[in-house]
Amino acid sequence: MKILAFLILAPPLFGGLTLALTGRNLPRRTCEVLASLTILASFFAAVTAWFTFPGGREVLSLARWFSAGPVTASMDVLLDPLALTMAVMVTFVSFIIHVHSIWYMRGEEGYVRFFCYLNLFVFSMLVIVLADNLLFLFLGWEGVGFCSYALIGHWYHEEFRGKAGQKAFILTRIGDVAFVAAMAVLVSTLGTLSIAQIDAQAISLSAGMALALSLLFLFAAAGKSAQLPLLVWLPDAMAGPTPVSALIHAATMVTAGVYLLMRLFPVVAVSPDAMLMVAMVGGLTAFMGCLAALGQRDIKRILAWSTISQVGYMLLALGAGDVTGSMFHLLCHAFFKSLLFLGAGCIIQVLHEEQDILNMGGFLRKARPEIFWLFLIGALDLASLPPTAGFFSKGRVLEAVLAQPGMAYQALFILAACGAVLTSFYTFRLVFLAFWGDPVKPMHHEPAQLPTGMARVLWPLAVLALGAGVINLPGTWDVSGWLARTLDGIPGVVQPPHGEQAGTAELIDLAAGFGGLALAWFFYAPKRRPDPEILVAREDGMLGVFRSGLGLDALYNAVFARPYRALSGILWKGVDAGLIDGAVMGCGRMFAYASELARPLATGRISLYLIMLAAGLAALLAALAAGIK
Amino acid sequence: MNDFPLLTAVTFLPLAGALGALALGKTPEACRRFSLIAALAHLAFTAWAMSRALPLTEDMAWIPALGARYTLEMDAVSAVLSLMTSFLTVIAVLVSWKEIQEKVGAYHALIFGVSTTALGVFLARDLLLFLVFWEAQLVPMFFIIGIWGHEDRRRAAFKFFLFSIAGGLFMLLAGIWLYLAHGGATGNYTFSLAALLASPVAPGAQVWLLAAFLLAFAIKTPIVPLHTWLPDAHTQAPTAGSLLLAGVLLKTGSYALARWAIPLFPQAFAEYWWVLAALGSGGLVYASWVAFAQTDAKRLVAYSSVGHMGLVVLGLAVWKTASLEGAVLLMVNHALTTGALFIMVGMLGERAGTREMAKFGGLWKTMPTFSGFFLLFAMASAGLPGLGNFVSEMLILLGSYQSAPVPAALAFAGLVLTLAYVLRLLQQMLFGESRTGNVYHDLTPRESLILAPLAACVVVLGVAPWSVLDLISIPLKALLA
Repeated sequence: MKILAFLILAPPLFGGLTLALTGRNLPRRTCEVLASLTILASFFAAVTAWFTFPGGREVLSLARWFSAGPVTASMDVLLDPLALTMAVMVTFVSFIIHVHSIWYMRGEEGYVRFFCYLNLFVFSMLVIVLADNLLFLFLGWEGVGFCSYALIGHWYHEEFRGKAGQKAFILTRIGDVAFVAAMAVLVSTLGTLSIAQIDAQAISLSAGMALALSLLFLFAAAGKSAQLPLLVWLPDAMAGPTPVSALIHAATMVTAGVYLLMRLFPVVAVSPDAMLMVAMVGGLTAFMGCLAALGQRDIKRILAWSTISQVGYMLLALGAGDVTGSMFHLLCHAFFKSLLFLGAGCIIQVLHEEQDILNMGGFLRKARPEIFWLFLIGALDLASLPPTAGFFSKGRVLEAVLAQPGMAYQALFILAACGAVLTSFYTFRLVFLAFWGDPVKPMHHEPAQLPTGMARVLWPLAVLALGAGVINLPGTWDVSGWLARTLDGIPGVVQPPHGEQAGTAELIDLAAGFGGLALAWFFYAPKRRPDPEILVAREDGMLGVFRSGLGLDALYNAVFARPYRALSGILWKGVDAGLIDGAVMGCGRMFAYASELARPLATGRISLYLIMLAAGLAALLAALAAGIK
Repeated sequence: MNDFPLLTAVTFLPLAGALGALALGKTPEACRRFSLIAALAHLAFTAWAMSRALPLTEDMAWIPALGARYTLEMDAVSAVLSLMTSFLTVIAVLVSWKEIQEKVGAYHALIFGVSTTALGVFLARDLLLFLVFWEAQLVPMFFIIGIWGHEDRRRAAFKFFLFSIAGGLFMLLAGIWLYLAHGGATGNYTFSLAALLASPVAPGAQVWLLAAFLLAFAIKTPIVPLHTWLPDAHTQAPTAGSLLLAGVLLKTGSYALARWAIPLFPQAFAEYWWVLAALGSGGLVYASWVAFAQTDAKRLVAYSSVGHMGLVVLGLAVWKTASLEGAVLLMVNHALTTGALFIMVGMLGERAGTREMAKFGGLWKTMPTFSGFFLLFAMASAGLPGLGNFVSEMLILLGSYQSAPVPAALAFAGLVLTLAYVLRLLQQMLFGESRTGNVYHDLTPRESLILAPLAACVVVLGVAPWSVLDLISIPLKALLA
């Protein structure tokens, strides 16, 4: 097992380092193939580990790192079915995205950098997935943050892309402060940073301590997973190349926060308040994401907000105590959202970098039917229409919330159900506008010809997006629960009361999906659409209110970013150069005036002063020596 | 004491280099070559000395009338810092190869002077000897800044001198007071560190003595609000001057805090440690904030340096195993990363004649190797895991929370502030489009050769920090006991 764990982690690291150090001297094809093969190797190792893993939880030590006093960091991994399932998913999706990227990045200059960061990203993500020691996990946690920063700003010569990367890095770092704080609290209470031990000792935590720790980890997760209140970086992160958005900002990294809370679920579970907080952050973010997605015209930003919203559903399930449901939705989401993003990447390249869905239309569907079908499959998932995986996973989330007693959870259930309607609504708004009817601004170019493989390689994702629901069919269907059985035995995994609410939840899920579809049909079906000017006015006017993400970004800018920048200038010129330096130098000058030394000092004849100092010192010592005798 | 005086050799061998450099001053090329060989030889010698069973000691009578002895000791902490000093001396010679064209002999002699005096500070275990090395330190650096510095060098050198001498004077007086008080109480007039530690003076006097020692060390480290000489000194100093200032001189301040001030006055420290902790973490936040506003890249790095040293001070103030080991490790890591950033800004300054960030941009395109190194060191400075600084920062942050939750929490916020100015630096220099249209050539082989070992150290200290921690934990445990 130790060798397998090593084999999961090492290849992408090797690939990334090789590219970083020698990439510029290697032929292009070698770089591309090397980067993809390392991920494939990881994937095989992960699958092998998955099949041979005996069950339960196993901590393996890979390497020494550092240790002092109560702080111990070692490169340990914690293997359990949850981690291995996640590892298989991450390597699989990453491999497809690597291969897709070879075509996507054709003709781009910075391919070495691109594939190097992509490989390092996968390595860091796998560290998060497998790590036992929280500091080791933090290595991956910060690693994905750095790679994300670098990849968002991949086209670095354009200022706004670099700025978007910066924003992502800083906002997730704000979350990381809570991560570090949580580690500090753990060091001083439980005295360990090992997830396995923390989970085992969670029962001994007081409710207050568990709540504090959970809230800190929740805040950290909110940074990485783009949840309230730290979500504003993700829409801007779309400045990166589209495969990056698919891999990092949809399928994997943004789920890291949710995954962390799953790993530490026993801690969260100690405090019912913490559970409710998790559920509330998830529910509110899910709903807000829907509203904001509805207001976008840029295809990538719609998908970005939908990611925020769907990750919110994962948190919601977790807050309702259903780790299995959360993981179920995480897996299905990874497949269909990467499919959607990669499909969107194809569309954007076909349309010569056009991202506005109002400028797309029926010609696109007719010209590139394969891309249309792929995208439609992903859309059906997102809108949670049967029989896609998204339908079942969303249903499971709703079921988990419905099963929880209490007013708060009931309110959250209503919110989640309304969100499901809205999700389906904005999804089909996107589909109808992008694939039917006439564009507002007709294209001047012919649709571009893409390499065949670029779309072809997405079919495995499409198949999973359609069929992955079978891994955890709802209880009422009686063939259920492969995922649930797999995850059984992981600390904190509790199977919700079997199937009582499943029927209701699935029905509501179904109604929400079709309800949203009907709404979208009403407003955006080609025949029912108003004239282009009226359509644009409507999209920009009524829905444009949601476009800015309900003004959160502007608020943060006004309250934090701008004052910070302005104050830094004042601190420098006013306080540092003015007040402090003035006071200290003033003191010096006062002494200088007060003494006879003033003149040589003022003329800057230091050598004289030095001699005097030496002479004085010698005299002093001589006097001392004389005195002691 | 029958064998070879190893530590004396470690301390004073650079002076032999200084004499040689002076003698070869007429032929600059030969002088540089000689200095490089001498520095390398000294590095090898220090490493060899370190590989012996530590601690090494030397002790002999010096001024018998005063009870002052010539005592040197190299435990692992001193050894690591000494090795760092001789390593950075090699780098300092290399970075000056093209930059320094005038009075080459004197310049290299002074570089070696910095080395010897700093080594003396790291190794001395007799208060008087320590004070002599301490005061002597400022002389070579004063001339390096004042003669080979940039436009406003005289003012900066003067300010550096004034600050240092002011701190030094109070410490000198306090040292003599301590000597007399200790002698009076025990009847044994001595400057020996061991003896002074064995019988601390009365708690009432300790407070004032600690304050005087702290003043000297706080100026050198520097601790906010006594830091304002540093940005000026760094901005005006030649590259090697900045490197030695950040890498060696500042470290003597924080080292002396841990070796002298805190152990000598335990009661006063136990009462007032929180002042130090507050100044440390407050300084980190403050300096990082000010760094964000800078327009001159070198000044930005200088303020970042103040911030990092604030974290070192927090680690020392908390005075627990983890925080202390983290603080010592951060001294090393800070020397490497900040030193490297100073070098790289200097390389850019040599090409462009300016260090204003607004005059650059888009370097990634024209100087890929430079940019790769720059990104590495900048990220190390921002505390990216896998690189050196991260380990030391985590030890300090996680190690100080229990005893100092408020300063520690403030320091947690420093993680974000540090990243903010580092990203701003990167964005302005490497990314975007070139704002002037000037194209500079990428790193020369000599320049890559300078940066590669620094980068290697940063990575090794990030991945296998236990190699150093295992060494320094032994003497630090003794220090804490």
